[in-house]
Amino acid sequence: MADLLGAPLPGTPRPYHFPAFERRALANGLTVWLVPIEGAALTNAHFLSDAGAAAEDEVHAGVAALTAQLLVTGTRRLDAAEFAEATERLGIEVGSESSWDSSRAAFQALPTQLDAGLALLAEMLREPRLDPGEFDRLKSERLADILQARAEPGRLADEAFLGQVFDPATPYRRISAGTPETVAGLGLDDVRAFHATQFLPGRAHLVIAGAIRADAVMRRVEAEFGDWQGTGAGHRQLEPRAAGGRRVVIVDRPGSVQTELRVGHVGIDRYDPRYFAALVMAALLGGVFNSRLNSRLREELGYTYGAAAGFDPRRFRGPLRAAAAVHTEVTASAISEMLSLIEGIRGGEPTAAELNQVRDFLVGVFPLRFETTGGVASAIEPIAIYGLPDAWWTTYRARLEAVTAADVREAADALIHPDQLVVVAVGDAAAIRPAIEAAGVGRVELATVESATPGAAT
Amino acid sequence: MPQIPIERHRLANGLRLVLAPDPRTPIVAVNLWYDVGSKHERAGKTGFAHLFEHMMFQGSANVAKGEHFSRIQGAGGTNNASTWLDRTNYFEVLPSHHLQLALWLEADRLGGLLPAMSQEKLDNQREVVKNERRWSVDNQPYGTWDEKLQALLFPPGHGYHHSTIGSMEDLNAASLADVSHFFASYYAPNNAVLTIAGDFEPAVAVEMVERHFGPIPANPDLPPPPDLRIAPRLGSEVREDVPDRVPLPRVYLAYRAPVFGTTEFDHLEVAADVLGSGRASRLYAHLVRERQLAQDVAVYLFPFVGGAAIFAAWATARPGTDPAELEAALLGEIAGLISNGPSDAELERVRNLHAAAIESSLERLGERADRLSMYTCLFDQPERVADEVARYRAADAGLVQAAAADRLVADNRVVLTYLPMEDGSDG
Repeated sequence: MADLLGAPLPGTPRPYHFPAFERRALANGLTVWLVPIEGAALTNAHFLSDAGAAAEDEVHAGVAALTAQLLVTGTRRLDAAEFAEATERLGIEVGSESSWDSSRAAFQALPTQLDAGLALLAEMLREPRLDPGEFDRLKSERLADILQARAEPGRLADEAFLGQVFDPATPYRRISAGTPETVAGLGLDDVRAFHATQFLPGRAHLVIAGAIRADAVMRRVEAEFGDWQGTGAGHRQLEPRAAGGRRVVIVDRPGSVQTELRVGHVGIDRYDPRYFAALVMAALLGGVFNSRLNSRLREELGYTYGAAAGFDPRRFRGPLRAAAAVHTEVTASAISEMLSLIEGIRGGEPTAAELNQVRDFLVGVFPLRFETTGGVASAIEPIAIYGLPDAWWTTYRARLEAVTAADVREAADALIHPDQLVVVAVGDAAAIRPAIEAAGVGRVELATVESATPGAAT
Repeated sequence: MPQIPIERHRLANGLRLVLAPDPRTPIVAVNLWYDVGSKHERAGKTGFAHLFEHMMFQGSANVAKGEHFSRIQGAGGTNNASTWLDRTNYFEVLPSHHLQLALWLEADRLGGLLPAMSQEKLDNQREVVKNERRWSVDNQPYGTWDEKLQALLFPPGHGYHHSTIGSMEDLNAASLADVSHFFASYYAPNNAVLTIAGDFEPAVAVEMVERHFGPIPANPDLPPPPDLRIAPRLGSEVREDVPDRVPLPRVYLAYRAPVFGTTEFDHLEVAADVLGSGRASRLYAHLVRERQLAQDVAVYLFPFVGGAAIFAAWATARPGTDPAELEAALLGEIAGLISNGPSDAELERVRNLHAAAIESSLERLGERADRLSMYTCLFDQPERVADEVARYRAADAGLVQAAAADRLVADNRVVLTYLPMEDGSDG
């Protein structure tokens, strides 16, 4: 059997269900999420503190990231070398990092190493060494990495874009790892204080996924974490504000053969009632291969290797961002095209074919996202951190399928603001500026790497 | 690793088919390796194998430009392709009831690509690929490193001398006639391996593959493989300093290595991990943590199969570190491995990390299918996918030390150093 165009018709779908999970609370407030997956070859354990970069005060921007990095450099019992040795001999590499809304320490292991891994994870979280020498080393590595990032046009564009979109009082104007000025000002006492107030069992989560037996795992968790006491200070309230006004900011990088473009403005938070309509809208703008942006800029015009767009919903409103790296010569034209495609998503409904393709992709790709144990464990994180309903993933596909063309139009009209669109162009200013000014797409500002990226706390 | 049963078939037209059923999740991976890569390109045609791969998404007899992606994504699948020195692969992962769609799309372009080709499509993808080169190489700090290592390790005329992305000049010169010629030469069922992994019935899959691929004729005149024979060692040290728009110097060391598939390659892989895998590795422990000369370190073995592979190690200098001191420190660690082979504790560490990493990659059906295609295409032995951990464990301290002593030596060494440009620009 084939369809009208010759393609074979699909067979009978086999149902897929997101793995059932349960949560249990320890007396100290630690929430344990258990996700048994029969036959899984690997086990994942993710500890989550409800404290990421958004919990920092701005003077200490970057302390969450540095704390996360310092956690894996040893415990009271084991120095940095011994801790690395102890974990890696089990085949485990512990990852520890912070985002805006949480800090995470996690590992993946063969099932036989889970218990030993949990013991080391607990030791690291409860009794980290926080060694002065390791602190100095990681701090200077962090500062050098910020320099390296600003030398890479793509990472520079990402950082400059945030700095231009959000107003100076909004922490989201910077990257979560902090600025050179704030990181330079951090001391080991700041890390110790952040750890002491934020890495505590109350308000924290431990997700364990794999071929596990719930009661046996809980006995291990109770033994390792049960007598830990205290509740983390948690996140604070932010009110993200736009820096204001449509404009093009050229960040001069002489000699660049491409221009890294970022276009967008303030977007949505994780609780937005239009979340699913926004997801569909962003996908048809820049989330599939034949999205409006990629079809036009890549497949018709050949301006770029790829163009994409998406929201970054956080506890509070994160950015909406479109991105492409385009040939220097076509920069002005590419900016006009991107702006008109983003604006053009307003004021009309998507075609049925367009809507179906995007919605069918987002719905159909669901089981692929949870192919690995790590993918399943990570999927629990937004439920834990943002307090989403436990049924989030079981109702997810139905909620996507319910999105109509009218919903997409409504979301676009409400969430796309042409007068707020900020363009950041990291490229050779002398080569691209005249044509951008002539294009008349907005006020044009010239910036340097230093002036375009967020500096000291304000 | 989980016991994955493997079935092998060969169609009358020479297509090799590998089936690895695993019904745990209702998804399926389809993976095709064509035995053609950038090593097959001749002078003046660099980058063509990869440009051609892009043309495979521009439509075919029954498929419009862009339709391959829209069909697969519309079915809830993901897909892509990649070109490398030794091969080109095309792959889809999708809900299992759409298996036949992926097979039909792949067969349509193998059986009928040329009628859909046009100058306009070629010009469009030429610009896309040139932008891919600008993005990944020309506009990227340190972006030329692998291209330079290949050029310094392999002589002009050798298939590995030039990069897969190719030169702008050669991309500009590519013509529709090149597309036809390349397709006719290399894109034939008897030059390909098709792997299906995941949720499917083998008998049904074989029938589908016969239906869609069976009618495609073999190419009885496949071009002979390029002659990639080369001396096992360079013969002398080769050095190059590259002023670049980078804030920190970076030193690359690279050596000709035994080819992928040999036990000597496996031994060097263990050496690479002892030196560079994890925070307890020698390079991280000594150069990053203790001496604080390096910001980051890495060691990687490029698994080439013709003539020689590449063993590469690199480190980015901490601010204030003299690159000469960093180079000496890197060389000191390699010399240290040659004089003091891995300890029992180091072997236990890298073996357990390796075993976990293998499980992690086989967890993904797409990766599992790709490895099966790889072992079939390169060695005609898909069952080697089950031996990876055992082969790694077979490298004892003496063998690792001997492999390092044999290849990681001064007269087989390229030293490539990136230095911040004099103008003081930090980018």
